[in-house]
Amino acid sequence: MTSATRQQSHQLDTINRRLPVVILAMVIGSALLLLALASFQWLSPEVDREFRARGIANTTSVETIPAERGMIYDRDGEPLAFNQIEYRFGVSPNLVTDPALVARELALILDLDEFDIYRKITNTTSSWVSITDNGPVSAEIGQEVLDNEALTLATTKDRVWRRFYPQGTLASQILGFTIDENATGAMGLEAYYNDELAGRAIDEIISTVPLYAPEAVDEVRQEGMDLVLTIDRDLQFLVESRLAQYVADNSADSGTIIVMESRTGDILAMASYPTFDPNNFVSEDAELLTTPAITDAYEPGSIFKILTVAAALESGTVDENWTYNDTGELQAASIVVRNWNEQAYGVRNATDVLVNSLNIGVATMAMEMGPDLFYQALRRFGVGALTRIDVSGEASGLLKEPGDSDWSESDLLTNSFGQGLSVTPIQMITAANAIANDGLMMQPRIVQQRIAGDIVQNIEPVVLRRVIGVDTAHMVRDMMVQVVQDPNGANQAAVPGYSIAGKTGTAQIPNAVGYESGTSIAGFIGFFPADDPRVTVLIRLDRPAGYWGSRTAAPAFSDLAEQLVLYLGIPEDSVRLNLAAQGGQTSTVR
Amino acid sequence: MTRWMQHTIGRRGWQPRNQAAVLLGLALILALVFAGVYLSQVASYAATNREISALIEERDRLEFANEQLRVEIASLKTIPRLLDRAQQLGYRYANPSEVQYMVIDGYNPNRDQTVVDLETRDTEASAPQYEETFGGWLQQQFDSLSRQFEGFGR
Repeated sequence: MTSATRQQSHQLDTINRRLPVVILAMVIGSALLLLALASFQWLSPEVDREFRARGIANTTSVETIPAERGMIYDRDGEPLAFNQIEYRFGVSPNLVTDPALVARELALILDLDEFDIYRKITNTTSSWVSITDNGPVSAEIGQEVLDNEALTLATTKDRVWRRFYPQGTLASQILGFTIDENATGAMGLEAYYNDELAGRAIDEIISTVPLYAPEAVDEVRQEGMDLVLTIDRDLQFLVESRLAQYVADNSADSGTIIVMESRTGDILAMASYPTFDPNNFVSEDAELLTTPAITDAYEPGSIFKILTVAAALESGTVDENWTYNDTGELQAASIVVRNWNEQAYGVRNATDVLVNSLNIGVATMAMEMGPDLFYQALRRFGVGALTRIDVSGEASGLLKEPGDSDWSESDLLTNSFGQGLSVTPIQMITAANAIANDGLMMQPRIVQQRIAGDIVQNIEPVVLRRVIGVDTAHMVRDMMVQVVQDPNGANQAAVPGYSIAGKTGTAQIPNAVGYESGTSIAGFIGFFPADDPRVTVLIRLDRPAGYWGSRTAAPAFSDLAEQLVLYLGIPEDSVRLNLAAQGGQTSTVR
Repeated sequence: MTRWMQHTIGRRGWQPRNQAAVLLGLALILALVFAGVYLSQVASYAATNREISALIEERDRLEFANEQLRVEIASLKTIPRLLDRAQQLGYRYANPSEVQYMVIDGYNPNRDQTVVDLETRDTEASAPQYEETFGGWLQQQFDSLSRQFEGFGR
């Protein structure tokens, strides 16, 4: 007993001696482990980031909330482009209790193969399968799925926006279209203003754990801006329908018309034929998916003579007393220049040159000006340079100048009557409009307002530069009025009761070996009323059966102008001047 | 330390059932309280989510209805349809000779536009007004708490 007590006492002594050491060792070991854990988890930023990311990924999902694309309106607020809701559907197989029923209901509503859907739902280990693989379905069909109680639990939906153009083909070459499910602008205004229209989507972090609050997002979702155009929907319709008629009547391949407000440079209508439907552009001919009015550069032919005459008058080389002797041939710079009808006209002044569209007359003017003054003037008119109109895809045309390797002296002569260079219709009308606008060149524009929520940003008309003096502009204008009034000129373009300033053009079409035989680009450019222009109009018909601009484009201009004066409320000159004398004002578009 | 060890080891064989039962009961109550709080939170979260889903569905339904109306209005206002309708009603294009212009005294088509500075007005409207005092805030919290307990025990 004593021995046992002693032994127990000895054991207790041993425990008493060793226990503090063991406890101390355990405390130190634990502290070291804690330190190691802390240094691993908090002191290493990479590890910290990695674990945080894994933690977030386990408890959250990221949902992209797209901004709604901005709408596009005409100048009167009529919608030209807006968005429609569509849906993409999927199924969570784990939540499906009756796959046959779900497959049957979905197939019935979505017009899909029932067995395919059934197989998708049953033959998968995935937690989600897509059902609308062929693309989103319309909101109407989507609503049927959402209203079906048999599908409520198992189906998931994603809303997507589809761009819709309610006017169909109207102004499609201006508006363009969007591609992909993000509705990215691919042509026209949709492409040019894509950033403004698209707005900014945000990625919102959604918690998948019930008690976690949603993560705060610093970014702010920004809805797309709305655009208000200078285009007048009714006028655009008028121009498009008349253009189709002119192309058909003249058996032309295609055509373009631009109507510009003379004082502001606003494009009121811009159309080319044939055109396309932006709601269904995928099935259209790819060659049609352009804006010919700003992309198709061509040799303008005789309508270009108004720029040559304006340049010659502005430089002082030519004045109202200037004359030359037209012998029917001009031999210079190793080429022979002849008039359009190969006739000699004798002694003629500058007005006669435009009225009779004399190649020799303008070539003589260009020679007398010399290349420096001539090309300087063309640059001021913007020939060979982008107009920077706010539509995507503009071409700059072509202008060879002294110093360029391919320029020769003969170019000076041919350029004077619109050959050997190329311009786009928008370049040509912008340059000619400077004559209508007393020598001031206006920036052509399509968008006049940008609207972001309650903020309306007006875009004011911009004067680019003065290209010719007021007097020069008036002199050229008077000559152009003569062109339309003179029986030898382009009186097919006349509108009874109105003073029209204009010029015809018949441009040959260049090919690899020279010019096509028997085909032309017929054109007319003009503005009215001549003394106080409201609109400048360009008409271009490609390969018309009638060949000459005076027989094809000029009558078309007359017909269109008759409609325009009614639509724009422009009284006949006598009435207008009488009203003005009584204090009436009519000199605004509307 | 030795006394503590003696006390602990020396009492190892003893099983205080009452004490254990009390401890177990306390743990159970704590667990029940936590579970209750958790469940109530989850239930509240689920109910809120359900409300949100219903609101989202309602929003979708209204947006869909709006879009349908917008498409319908746009199609009714297309120019070919308006022209057809006008012709049905007996209208036709005017000839230039049929248009009469007149001077209206005092009417100026070139009058200046009235521009409302929406941006400035909007900024003023959205400027937050801070009128709250600390005392008022405390009172608000107290009232809110009181309202929560008003229905208790009924």
